[in-house]
Amino acid sequence: MFDAFLTALPLVLTWPVILAMVIGTIGGISIGALPGLTATMGIAVLIPITFALDPLPALGMMAGIYQGAMYGGAIPAILLRIPGTPAAIATTLDGYPMAQKGEAAYALRVSLVSSALGGIASAIVLMLLSPPLAVFALEFGPGEYFMLAVFGLASISVLLGDNAIKGLLSACFGLFVGIVGLDPMTGHERFTFDSMHLVSGFDIIVLLTGLYAIPPALIMGEKALRKGVSGDVLRLKKTQMRLREWLKFVRIWIRASVIGIVIGIIPGAGGNVASFLSWNETKRVSKNPKAFGTGIPEGVAAAECANNGDSSSALIPAITLGVPGNAVAAVILGGLLVHGMQPGPALFRENPEIIYGFMIQMLLTAFLMFVLGRYGARIFIQVLRIPPVLLATMIVPMTVIGVYSVQNSVFDIWMCLGFGVIGYAMEKLDISVAPAVLALILGPMAESNLRRVLLIGQGDVSLIFQRPISLIILALTVLVLSYPLLRYLRQGRRRQTV
Amino acid sequence: MMFRKLAGSLLVAAAAAVATSPALAEYPERPITMIVAFSPGGGTDVLARSFAPFIEKYLGKGASFTIINKPGAGGEVGFTAVAKSKPDGYTIGFLNLPNLLAIPIEREARFSLDSFTPLANMVDDPGAINVHVDSPFKSLKDLVTYAKENPGAVTIGTSGVGGDDHLAVLSFAKQAGIKIAHVPFPGAAPNRTALLGRHITAGAFNVSEAIQYAQEGKIRILGVMAEKRWELAPDAPTFKEQGFDVIMGSQRGMGAPAGFPEEAKNKLSEAIGKAVNDPEFQEKAKKIYLPLSFMPSDEYAAFLKQKDDQFRKMWKEEPWRK
Repeated sequence: MFDAFLTALPLVLTWPVILAMVIGTIGGISIGALPGLTATMGIAVLIPITFALDPLPALGMMAGIYQGAMYGGAIPAILLRIPGTPAAIATTLDGYPMAQKGEAAYALRVSLVSSALGGIASAIVLMLLSPPLAVFALEFGPGEYFMLAVFGLASISVLLGDNAIKGLLSACFGLFVGIVGLDPMTGHERFTFDSMHLVSGFDIIVLLTGLYAIPPALIMGEKALRKGVSGDVLRLKKTQMRLREWLKFVRIWIRASVIGIVIGIIPGAGGNVASFLSWNETKRVSKNPKAFGTGIPEGVAAAECANNGDSSSALIPAITLGVPGNAVAAVILGGLLVHGMQPGPALFRENPEIIYGFMIQMLLTAFLMFVLGRYGARIFIQVLRIPPVLLATMIVPMTVIGVYSVQNSVFDIWMCLGFGVIGYAMEKLDISVAPAVLALILGPMAESNLRRVLLIGQGDVSLIFQRPISLIILALTVLVLSYPLLRYLRQGRRRQTV
Repeated sequence: MMFRKLAGSLLVAAAAAVATSPALAEYPERPITMIVAFSPGGGTDVLARSFAPFIEKYLGKGASFTIINKPGAGGEVGFTAVAKSKPDGYTIGFLNLPNLLAIPIEREARFSLDSFTPLANMVDDPGAINVHVDSPFKSLKDLVTYAKENPGAVTIGTSGVGGDDHLAVLSFAKQAGIKIAHVPFPGAAPNRTALLGRHITAGAFNVSEAIQYAQEGKIRILGVMAEKRWELAPDAPTFKEQGFDVIMGSQRGMGAPAGFPEEAKNKLSEAIGKAVNDPEFQEKAKKIYLPLSFMPSDEYAAFLKQKDDQFRKMWKEEPWRK
């Protein structure tokens, strides 16, 4: 295997390939930073262009876009509380409060370093452990998927915190949005109101941008009306970080990378879930869980490291089994196919220099992202200088264009604006929108897999409890759910002893 | 900031360019959307992504396709999207048989055969029943014997309700007199993954989707639903050889919404024909195991009509959805 990497390395380190990776990474950071535009779309748009290129520059550009976009999504999440991609939702939780405190530069720095490390760890796993980990992906049957979705939903319920009822409202709203469309098992229409636009259900991007990008714009406009037009003073604290200060993140990074890598390997889960689970897990084990969500760098590190940690590992089932781990991996598969390479076991034998070269590119672009991101952050942070009234009028059209480009559907724009109004109301009522978006991802996953379990077990659910992986996830679910109770009991005892 | 402004103005310019589209002066003058009604990684998706560049080549004038996966409910989501799209020449889609014909027969759908302008058929891919290589079942007979002893215990995955896999499984179960549990997946790739992970007893998916894994020794093809054995898998016996009269397959062609401009239809149909016969594509198709079978627009339309009659008759005799 090392021979294969040594053969591929000189092919990767040629000027056209390096240039392609640099362009891809810059493009990826920009795409990720624009709400509504995602890596999936960026790569899909790129595929026809790459057809004229050799496979390695083409794949290098895709690798760059993929890595870059995962970090780019954090930039508006921190600066404006608008996640650039669904994977950056968890980043808003601590990133935006940090920016409010005037620590935007520090938050961006932490997110960049964390993203790069997550990306590097994931790429190394992709390079060294692909075949054994692909076997792990196969262990995931309907029962395991169901439990994973339940685990995710349970984690959401913990996220609700002090405001459980409001959080549940939000999660139920997300679950309901996920029900709309054709029944995955029978094809019956649910809540489609005879509109063909609703038959396919809602795209996650439509809900995400509606709930996250529109309300801040409305609120900015509101403030501008009250205060009149004024440019914000850019308050940036000096952030000279010493090595010693970075050390406190090491454990968070390790945990987040593992979560990102594991979630990435499981087809269908992806970075959206990984970053959120990682943030939640870091909060759970923290000595000071209350501080999470108030703007602490640990929260940003946990979320950003995990969403890059899934990037390369999501490619493992894709290139070894032909089963894409997430939407981006699916388009990359398309990219391989148009270059006449059928993903699967034969790929490693027939085109080793390409496939091992691509793995090296995933690693190199993680480093490139780190270098280019440092300069990018300096430019992007200037957005805070823009007066809110101007910013609001920029955000809305950008969002509309992004949403339209998902399915080229004007209907989606109206839906996005509709969700925007709902999101604005939720904001005013102090209801968190994160549970809604996560429930839209996890609800349909739980439903269709539970029904598959019932079909396979002839109406018997015991299949879920007979397999080791689903039992482990079940135990984790119980742990996550009982944790607040345990903490409550412990605090109660302490109070008694005092 | 600079990035945002620059990107913003570029996007606005692009949007403006799309908005001003007059009649089909020089077809095609913007990217054509190609809808694939199945999930990425499945047979239709593989075909679309590897074939699109060849049609682009023969359409000329810098033609390009944007491939969009709209999986779900055995293809209904994607077919509806094609049928209901504006017949402006810029949305076409893959038509998969029998799903396309089965769906409007089983339920009130927003499309029927009349909602489409058939462009050309490209692939005729026979179905197959496959098991994991570690499975005790070596032939269809083994599977039938076991299913008779344990009614309902055999789980067979398919790529969706009303698909060729589903119809074939029902037809097979009826002939063999067995009861099986049907487990629909959102497409062939998740179905195959579930089989590779041994979550289901058998998986019904097409030979082109099975062949690479059969050659790698990961799965065993128990039976192919064609008249003859397939040249790329000479060891895989047919259903007929094993005493079951099941001929089923998925035909993949291209269609557009009804009322599609004549000029666009002719240009596309011609380009598809040239592309299918392109030696480079034929070579590529062999590499990714695609059984090609080209039919031009008129022949394809007649074929669709004949199949439609056949399925309507099948439904009358025994509906596959109760």
